[in-house]
Amino acid sequence: MTGPQTPVGELDPVIHAQARLRVVATLSALHDGDRLAFPRLQSLLEMTAGNLSTHLRRLEEAGYVEITKTHQGRVPVTFVALTRRGGVAFEDYTAALRALLEPGGP
Amino acid sequence: MNSTDPSAPAGGHADEDAAPPSPAASLQLIDEQKRAAHRRLDIDPALMLVPWGVAWLVGYGLFFLRFGPDERVYVSMPEWLPLTVLLGLLCLAGAISGVAGVRAQHGVAGESAERGTMYGLSWMVGFSTFVVLASRFDDLLPDRDAGLLWASLPVLVTAILYMSGGAVWRDRYQFGLGVWLSVANVAGLLAGPGWHSLVICLAGGGGFLIAAAAYRLRAGQPAGS
Repeated sequence: MTGPQTPVGELDPVIHAQARLRVVATLSALHDGDRLAFPRLQSLLEMTAGNLSTHLRRLEEAGYVEITKTHQGRVPVTFVALTRRGGVAFEDYTAALRALLEPGGP
Repeated sequence: MNSTDPSAPAGGHADEDAAPPSPAASLQLIDEQKRAAHRRLDIDPALMLVPWGVAWLVGYGLFFLRFGPDERVYVSMPEWLPLTVLLGLLCLAGAISGVAGVRAQHGVAGESAERGTMYGLSWMVGFSTFVVLASRFDDLLPDRDAGLLWASLPVLVTAILYMSGGAVWRDRYQFGLGVWLSVANVAGLLAGPGWHSLVICLAGGGGFLIAAAAYRLRAGQPAGS
């Protein structure tokens, strides 16, 4: 799928940003079928809520994360998880990085 | 605040759209972030095993010293001391595991939560049941055999739950520990009262601690292996 040489310019721009990469890498640590509450994710990443929301919105637009808003009792809670597409995109991104670092690469 | 990007102004977010400086830096960032997340989200097996290992080592050890084979008393102490110490250490172990589990899983919803809840309930139901069972037959048995019944049942329940837990989470170390505890339990039962306590103290308590060390060694290996 990724050719023998993937130019840096072809790395997925949605993921290839410092902050969003951290978000995706963190969410990838969740087990299948699990989702993370927004405050817990924020605490794991040490980002401000506003920052994290912005990045999550971008990832959601790309179809890489799923954001679900529910209630626990009367308290609204937002849960976040990588979508299958997001997981695949992350795997492809990581594979592309490794290909770039292979000896004899670009 | 964001220590991996020296060029980002503190608190600024415009630069967080910036790409990592190099592919190598990206991979390193991914590795660091994944490790950090796993460290905080995953339940540390050592924290789950060591307190229980110590409880069994000390608790069953005291049983052996006070209620040795052939009615020997190796170390004189009040009759109630071994059981009190064992129960106290088990409660402490339970508290430690409980707190560790809650902190790791805080804010995580979904399948893991369901599995964990059902598994936790299995422990409670299993232990409650064995207490009823042992109580039912307690009076019908000579003292030493009643003691053996009370000592072997919690080991049986623990062994089965570790084998099941190993199956649920596809964890061979946990499964292996369950099998080992079963073998130790049977060996102790065949050896008889007194000896059973020694077997569980060393093989059981020791087994937990060795398993904890095995998990630590495995965790030290590169991510993804």
